[in-house]
Amino acid sequence: MQLYLPIAEIPVNIFVIFGMGGAVGFLSGLFGIGGGFLLTPLLIFSGIPPAVSVATVTTQVVASSSSAVVTYWRRKAIDLKLATILLAGGIFGSLIGVILFQVLESVGQLDLVISLSYVTFLGAIGGLMLYESVRAIRRRRSGVAPKARRPGQHNWIHGLPLKVRFRRSKLYVSVIPVVGLGAIIGFLGTVLGIGGGFMMVPALIYLLRVPTNIVIGTSLFQILFTMAAATVFHSIGTKTVDIVLAMTLMIGGVIGAQFGARMGQNLRGEQLRLLLALLVLLVGLRFAVDLLVTPEDLYSIAIVKGAGA
Amino acid sequence: MRRLLTVLVSLLMVTGAFAQSQPNRDLVTSLSSDLISIQSNFTGTEIVIFGQASNIERQPDNRNGYELAIVVEGPPQDITTRRKGRFLGVWVNREAERFQSVPSFYAVASTIDIGRMADRTLLDELGIGLNHINLAVSGVSNVALADRDDFRRAFVRLREESGLYSEQETSILFLTDTMFRTNILLPANIPVGVYKVKSFLFFNGEVVARTEQSLAVAKTGFEEFTFRLAQDYALVYGLMAIALAMFTGWLAGVIFRRD
Repeated sequence: MQLYLPIAEIPVNIFVIFGMGGAVGFLSGLFGIGGGFLLTPLLIFSGIPPAVSVATVTTQVVASSSSAVVTYWRRKAIDLKLATILLAGGIFGSLIGVILFQVLESVGQLDLVISLSYVTFLGAIGGLMLYESVRAIRRRRSGVAPKARRPGQHNWIHGLPLKVRFRRSKLYVSVIPVVGLGAIIGFLGTVLGIGGGFMMVPALIYLLRVPTNIVIGTSLFQILFTMAAATVFHSIGTKTVDIVLAMTLMIGGVIGAQFGARMGQNLRGEQLRLLLALLVLLVGLRFAVDLLVTPEDLYSIAIVKGAGA
Repeated sequence: MRRLLTVLVSLLMVTGAFAQSQPNRDLVTSLSSDLISIQSNFTGTEIVIFGQASNIERQPDNRNGYELAIVVEGPPQDITTRRKGRFLGVWVNREAERFQSVPSFYAVASTIDIGRMADRTLLDELGIGLNHINLAVSGVSNVALADRDDFRRAFVRLREESGLYSEQETSILFLTDTMFRTNILLPANIPVGVYKVKSFLFFNGEVVARTEQSLAVAKTGFEEFTFRLAQDYALVYGLMAIALAMFTGWLAGVIFRRD
């Protein structure tokens, strides 16, 4: 069934979009990720304009993270103070992101920056995750117990000024890296159409040493509100949020996520991380191929003014 | 004096009679619809243009006969055409050429090959045929003069591929000696706005009659409401999008609650 999208101004097959939302939702439920980094490329590769894809996925991420936030809220697994400071940075980063997005679009380099960023971030994160999960699987096979986290362990980040105490996370750390981290994730999320959970969670664990039981809920809470801000900024700035597309993706996504989450419970953590790492690398590779292989058509057009601009 | 007046009057009558004896080449055209409404089930449509060219004696394949061309033109747009080049091993957009006030949609139908209809200069002036549309470029451009034609060709080709530009020679059908009909396809991705439908009647390479009508393409109903909201009340639209997303997420959490 074809459905005309009011903002993207093209008709799409609603079942295909619904299916994409469902498939990505399944994976996000399986791996406990937002799935924006999969959904945005899928939409772009299926012919939705990149600007609409990125802006609309920010809205979809709001939906997928809010159902999870409710769960973590009930379990009291959110450090509100930490999340609020992250969020302050996130909103700032998101604002800069929308401004940059418009500048890049006007000079015709948006697609390039999106592709390059995907290659860089997905390549780096995917590589790290692959390394880490392979090591974990080997360790398990050889039977050596992993080193437990020592609470007193500090790194350079803990030497920064403006320290604040986060009771729930049992942390006493400077706000500078917290705001900075929020800003970077907010910025990337807005430009790339991703929630950024797959970057936020490792950063919170390895850099700030937030306890693992608090980390996911806090990260989700921050993503929810950063992406909500990004949706508003995109609505005002680029005017490319397509509510019909977003709604279709959301419904597919939340249903898929339920099945994914159920299946995820039967898989082991390291195996899941290994699969996720391969998935992340694959998406990065797809973008790299587009950048390196001679394009079929060297020319492209973009409407800058007048009807449909 | 009276003689002179009589001569003048008779002269007038003669010229009047002469004018009447000339064949009346009036052209009348009509559209199957003057409003195309885009709704959620819109997947493109077709308009039919009917017309009558009075008193023409059309002889097919006669170089000196009457011929017709019908142009459907969308509202103007500024469009940037970019060309990729290798930069540090990566394919990036390098040169760009901006075409100003070019039609967002362009379709031409004719009775014979457009090139055979009239002189190049006249076709250029009227903008009949894909080779004759006025594609003005902006002054600032980093495209070498030698490459300008490549950009022009690429622009027209890309627009043809997206179905927004088309040329259908010999697609005007004569139902009788004077009545004709043609169909113009409007694809799903047509921009909204006021379109112009221009019809030209040629005789011996000259335009002897022309008509112009307007055709509105507009979003209606939900599509129009959503689009206007996003354009004019962006903040409200953004907040609505968030509210909808949060509600959907929350609802899913409630429905599929497991703990």
